[in-house]
Amino acid sequence: MLLEASHLNIAYGDAPAVWDVSLDVDEGEIVSVIGPNGAGKTTLINALAGLLRPRGGALGIAGTDLMSVASHDFCRHGIALVPESRRLFAAMSVEENLDIGGYRSAARRHRNESLEQVYALFPALRERRRQIAGLLSGGQQQMVAIGRALMARPRLLLLDEPSLGLAPAVVNDVFAAIGRIHRGGVAILLVEQNVPKALEIANRAYVLEQGRIVASGAPEPLLARAEIREAYLGFAN
Amino acid sequence: MPSVTLLGQAVIAGVLIGGLYGLLAAGLSLSWGLLKYINVSYFALAFLSAYLTYQFGTFNGIAPWWSAVILVPAFFLLGVLQHWTFMRLRVTELTSLVVTFGLAVLIESLIQWIWTADFRKYESGFSGLTSKIGPFFVPTLDFLALVSATILAIATWSWLRWTYVGKALRAAAMDPEMASAFGIDHRRLSFLLSGICSAYAAVAGIFIALIATLAPSEIGTWIGVAFAVVIIGGVGNPLGALLAGILIGFAESVTMAVTQPAWAPLVSFTILIVLLLWKPRWT
Amino acid sequence: MAKYMIRPSRRAVLSSLAAASLVSAGRRVYAAPAPIRVGCTLALTGPLAQTALVHKLAAEIFVADINKHGGLLGRSVEYVLYDDQSRADQTRSLYEKLITVDNVDLIMAPYATAATLAAISVAQRYGKIIIYSSMAQVYLATYDRAFPASHGGPHPEISNPKVILDAWASTPHPPQSIAIAASKFPSALFEAKGVRDLAQKRGIKVAFYLEYDFPSRDMNPIAARFKDANADLVWLGCLGVEANQLIEAMTKIDYKPPRSFYLFPASGPLASAPGGEGATAFSNYEEHPPMDKFKGADVLIPAFHERAKAAGMPYTRVDFQAATEFAAWQMLAAAAQATSSLDDAKMADWLKHHQVETVVGKLRFNEEFNCGDDLSKVKQVQKGKWQVVWPVAFRQPGTTFIAP
Repeated sequence: MLLEASHLNIAYGDAPAVWDVSLDVDEGEIVSVIGPNGAGKTTLINALAGLLRPRGGALGIAGTDLMSVASHDFCRHGIALVPESRRLFAAMSVEENLDIGGYRSAARRHRNESLEQVYALFPALRERRRQIAGLLSGGQQQMVAIGRALMARPRLLLLDEPSLGLAPAVVNDVFAAIGRIHRGGVAILLVEQNVPKALEIANRAYVLEQGRIVASGAPEPLLARAEIREAYLGFAN
Repeated sequence: MPSVTLLGQAVIAGVLIGGLYGLLAAGLSLSWGLLKYINVSYFALAFLSAYLTYQFGTFNGIAPWWSAVILVPAFFLLGVLQHWTFMRLRVTELTSLVVTFGLAVLIESLIQWIWTADFRKYESGFSGLTSKIGPFFVPTLDFLALVSATILAIATWSWLRWTYVGKALRAAAMDPEMASAFGIDHRRLSFLLSGICSAYAAVAGIFIALIATLAPSEIGTWIGVAFAVVIIGGVGNPLGALLAGILIGFAESVTMAVTQPAWAPLVSFTILIVLLLWKPRWT
Repeated sequence: MAKYMIRPSRRAVLSSLAAASLVSAGRRVYAAPAPIRVGCTLALTGPLAQTALVHKLAAEIFVADINKHGGLLGRSVEYVLYDDQSRADQTRSLYEKLITVDNVDLIMAPYATAATLAAISVAQRYGKIIIYSSMAQVYLATYDRAFPASHGGPHPEISNPKVILDAWASTPHPPQSIAIAASKFPSALFEAKGVRDLAQKRGIKVAFYLEYDFPSRDMNPIAARFKDANADLVWLGCLGVEANQLIEAMTKIDYKPPRSFYLFPASGPLASAPGGEGATAFSNYEEHPPMDKFKGADVLIPAFHERAKAAGMPYTRVDFQAATEFAAWQMLAAAAQATSSLDDAKMADWLKHHQVETVVGKLRFNEEFNCGDDLSKVKQVQKGKWQVVWPVAFRQPGTTFIAP
């Protein structure tokens, strides 16, 4: 297993709490977490990225215990986050944002190589690399956010609602890029409200409701369950 | 109509004092923009450095450049220590103004206790040095202050602009959590930056000692103009602070040369208000 | 709150008491009369502390000396001193306390204008006589038992400019033009306007009249204007260190005015400033002949040097502040001695009708605001020291007024 989380309890301020969540992601997998608004999806993914510290349970990556690892060292262990609503360093240029992604020393050594990969994935960013990130369109900002995470050369990419607020055509582009990243050998954990897209791309999925995992498994068997179809796709049959 | 000589001399005086404004404002600008601490203790620290330069030079026969060799690293450490204390006390952006103001008063009292409220003048032997360019005189020390301010501002600006550490500091100022997600240890970098801010105060102090006459009460006279410089130059921008310092120095000086000198302080705040209303890109 | 008594030190007092009791044991059977307590506040801390210290030393010297010579009216004098922290509001409540709680016999005024006014208002409420030594605007003290020991006369804005211009008019080549710049500080502005008006009246061309913000950060542009105007006399209505700043700024642009006058400079720094030679300022006392023979000077001068040095002050010569404070105590003692009482009304009445010989000369108080003559003098930096150059009667024999 690459990422292993077991019996995580997470609570932080106003964020929805997560109880007794166990979840894993293997090398080469795309795993989706679906669930309604306020179920605790972002809380969960932020904890996996090290931004929130769990109050209980166990969290590890490739055999390393992450519970005692400092927040800023999560990325050293191969975890990179594309956060909800992108959270770019808005006043900095596109390339500066990418450089922050590649800040850790191991990533810096591959800067030019990583940069080429990101620009190959998102050619639009190459010509805009000197522009201020905050002034880009939503889709382009999402590309920067993904590119920034890739610059860290992660083993596991955490994506929090990458389709949020984007036009349908752009959503397709983003998911196409996710597919290509996955094919490049990066494991992916995806939190998404766009359930059809999330399940279409995933190898496995978890359903999170009110802070607890209520179902998990391969997409087809999940979709076969009437209550899940009803809740997330809006029809029962 | 003022004579060309008077105008030219006023322009020179204004631009040169701008260097000192820039040096003094740099610490506040960087710490406000990148550490989110509105740290006014740097003005008091600058005067502490000035008094130490005076003390070393007058009583220990230490030349000002050797004072710089001592004071700049010492103040760097002082800045680190100060930052450590602020973190321990959980000082926030909001409370930083109050805390650092208190610290400034404390340092002022310390200065007054050690050196008394009496005026002190460091007779370095260089204060009379001046070079003549056509009909104009360029005082050497003021010129050196401007040159140092320029070198430091460009160096700091480039460091923030081009290096990983610089980018990391700017990123952490915008979103410390996201910066941390990419491996940026904001705490460690912030110690470095607060050390640099304090070192700036040391440099400013050395020039204050060389150029001005010292009195503890003088500390307060620089705070208002330094705030204007920081805001006009763009918070967190050392090069902006220098350019704003030169702009204000120039405007004040020309005002003093052609109209009632008493209007000069209004000029810096008029520039500030106009820029706040106009909101150019860099602010 | 610290309370300072004029006693050398606790250890010295204890040991001398022990010694005295051994020597006088059995002989002294009567109790000494209670001391006369004189209450006062000074800015022992805060921005005014440095100059206030001068007042404290002068007062302590006077009290020590009078006690050495049998005290006042046969009683020793005790100096009850509080720290007003350079704040007028503190001053007000401390004087209330001195009068109502400590029940002091007499009071003395504190240092600086705002504190002085605060103390006078309290004195007025209790009918106490109050002698003040550091407030130039005598017209603010309308209380009939308030007496100035500083002496610019009742209308210094008229008499002071006259002293300066008379002094320069006495030189071989009197100035034909004057350039005036004044700090926006009340007492500086009224002096500046006074000298401008008088200069115009006397046909001296006023090259410019400027006001600048107080305190000034940057004197360079003003220096450039003085150089540009190139007037015969530079008149700067400055406070404290601004005089030095202007001189430095003028030196930097290679300008040395032929004649210069500075209103309220910091005496020590200006006298020792590299470009300060020849600069003039007001004075009321300099410790050179003939003033070093004035009443009390023999006590004040050596003791002040010693105490100022011990206190770590860079400038240890007796100047305006020390002499005026000392003179204030001389007035208080003279009034008590002459009336053989500590009665405020009697003492005040006596002062109004008599002259008092003090360290700064003979003072009288029978004009408006209990003032007398304007005894202002003009002093000049000569070889790094202040010398009174005007009026001629106060000039040290052998010195001259250095002027073009």
